[in-house]
Amino acid sequence: MDPSLNSAELQRFLSQEKEKAMVNEMVTNLTSVCWDKCITSTPGNKFSSSESACLSHCAQRYMDVTLIIMKRVQSMQ
Amino acid sequence: MGSFSTGSSETQISTKEFMEQMNFQLAQAYVEKFLQTVRDKCFDKCITKPGSSVSGTESSCISRCMDRYFEATRIVSRAFNASR
Repeated sequence: MDPSLNSAELQRFLSQEKEKAMVNEMVTNLTSVCWDKCITSTPGNKFSSSESACLSHCAQRYMDVTLIIMKRVQSMQ
Repeated sequence: MGSFSTGSSETQISTKEFMEQMNFQLAQAYVEKFLQTVRDKCFDKCITKPGSSVSGTESSCISRCMDRYFEATRIVSRAFNASR
């Protein structure tokens, strides 16, 4: 038996891991969606400034849309 | 409760070991999924007309595409974390 760690610590670890997994999932989906939207030509040696701006904006707008939808659903109840 | 027993065997692992193993497996699963996505995106972008082998041009495209996708992940991740 390991006396140095207890169940509370494990609980905290699991909930942190769950949070991390959710963030990873979100970023993974976002990158996939935004890549498809923003990188339309054959990949070069670096992004053009419009491509990197598009990626950044895309992520932000995607999150805005998530909020809009949530708020609308709440107002519908 | 500070340890786990694994089924029928008498092996017990500590919570700490469990956490480390879980971290490692989660990281592995994440990398695997990420690379599958990179493969799909870059195949899509670089292999427009599959030939009898991968050409040098297609190869270079794949390398660049991988770098760009990593970069895209960084940009999106930064934007995401900035708003949390």
